[in-house]
Amino acid sequence: MDFHFNKHELQDGRLDFHRFVLLITHRFSDRIRFVSELELEHALVEGLEEAGELELEQAYVDFLLSRRFNVRAGMLLMPVGIINERHEPPIYYGVERPFVDTVIIPTTWFEVGAGVHGEVGRGWRYRLFIASPLNAREFSAEEGLRGGRQKGADTNIGRPATTGRLEYVGIRGLTVGASFWTGRSGFEFRPRFEVPVNVGEADVRYSRDRLELRGQFAQVAISNAGDLNDAMGRAVGVDPNVASALRGFYGEAGYRVISGASYGDVGLFARYENFDTQFKMPSGYLPLREFDRDALVVGVTYWPDADIALKADYSAVRSKHSTIIAPNSFNIGLGWWF
Amino acid sequence: MSRTITRRSLLLALTGILAGSTRTSTGAAGKQNAQVIDIQVERFSFTPSEFRVKAGAPVEIRLRSDDTDHGFRILGTDINLTIPKRGKGVATVTFVPPSAGKYVFECSKLCGAGHGFMRGTLIAE
Repeated sequence: MDFHFNKHELQDGRLDFHRFVLLITHRFSDRIRFVSELELEHALVEGLEEAGELELEQAYVDFLLSRRFNVRAGMLLMPVGIINERHEPPIYYGVERPFVDTVIIPTTWFEVGAGVHGEVGRGWRYRLFIASPLNAREFSAEEGLRGGRQKGADTNIGRPATTGRLEYVGIRGLTVGASFWTGRSGFEFRPRFEVPVNVGEADVRYSRDRLELRGQFAQVAISNAGDLNDAMGRAVGVDPNVASALRGFYGEAGYRVISGASYGDVGLFARYENFDTQFKMPSGYLPLREFDRDALVVGVTYWPDADIALKADYSAVRSKHSTIIAPNSFNIGLGWWF
Repeated sequence: MSRTITRRSLLLALTGILAGSTRTSTGAAGKQNAQVIDIQVERFSFTPSEFRVKAGAPVEIRLRSDDTDHGFRILGTDINLTIPKRGKGVATVTFVPPSAGKYVFECSKLCGAGHGFMRGTLIAE
């Protein structure tokens, strides 16, 4: 769980209890178990207000058949990217999650589904799930796929999406992974038309002693984005200018300048991100340049305990637009886990 | 014979558990002629997650966490210990596989969203 202080340029500071998470598990036997994660975001859920969300991010039953082959069903985290399956605040640098893991990969991304997972050889892991697709009606120019998550709430499953990840964890400290998600997302439109969406992603993490390095690349392709924009324009009166491709990548280096001290560890980090939710446009559309952005995030984390992280960072964001300026921000956060 | 091995393995396992949970250092019981396996533990993996040992011979398993405290349980045995947090030491346990076969181990302490992936296999030959 974590709470943040965010101060954007030209705005008053905001203090937000961002996430309160409860994990509940149960072991039916050595081969059957239940795992759940219930998250309250922004502290308050009130009627039709959109101040906060109560989200069931995981609730699945695992049938553990063998090392190579296991079956999982329920509410699943989509196995895409570094952060979506590893989002405990003490284990990533920065008060907020990377921008790429927000507007290109819509973390936390969870849907109802089922699939298989396992490990083969010395450190090759896979997961392969089918799950509810994204809803293209909620896509946007600024945040890409993010609004399209159905979140397991009475979802349309007419054409299930498929997602998977292959990763190698066989070398101490190194994780190399690649993920995909593919689905058809035009199910809410009448007359119905196809909006195929494909997400591809690759990432690497390496940690040794005090050093931690991360890198991630993700790209999204939205077919028939022109028809999607037309249909949404007719439905709501505003053309959303959804792109036909989104792209983002980042590289991050962190180093614990103090490690093993009686009062805890201190780490410094820097992350460069490039993220463009208007990377390629459908025919006849021009990109909104304010959504072609990059960011340099630098900061410090103090761990008084391995499960508590006090973080501070400065995020300098630039966009390609000549007059619309992306706001820089100063952020402080306290996150913990037990 | 098998009963003797089982009794010995339980005794060594118990000694290892005590050594691991109290001193989180090398278990004395595993010093002599034990094969040593070092395992790095982090959310959400054991590295290595599969290794081979001799059936009937002691193996000293040393576990070091790179983040939070985890658990280490070998299914079908009494071995279940806590691996201390990063920088807080090494958990050590000595195990004697009573017979050839595969022994599944897993994290026995809820450690985060991907806790369910933390499993591995000890292969006794």
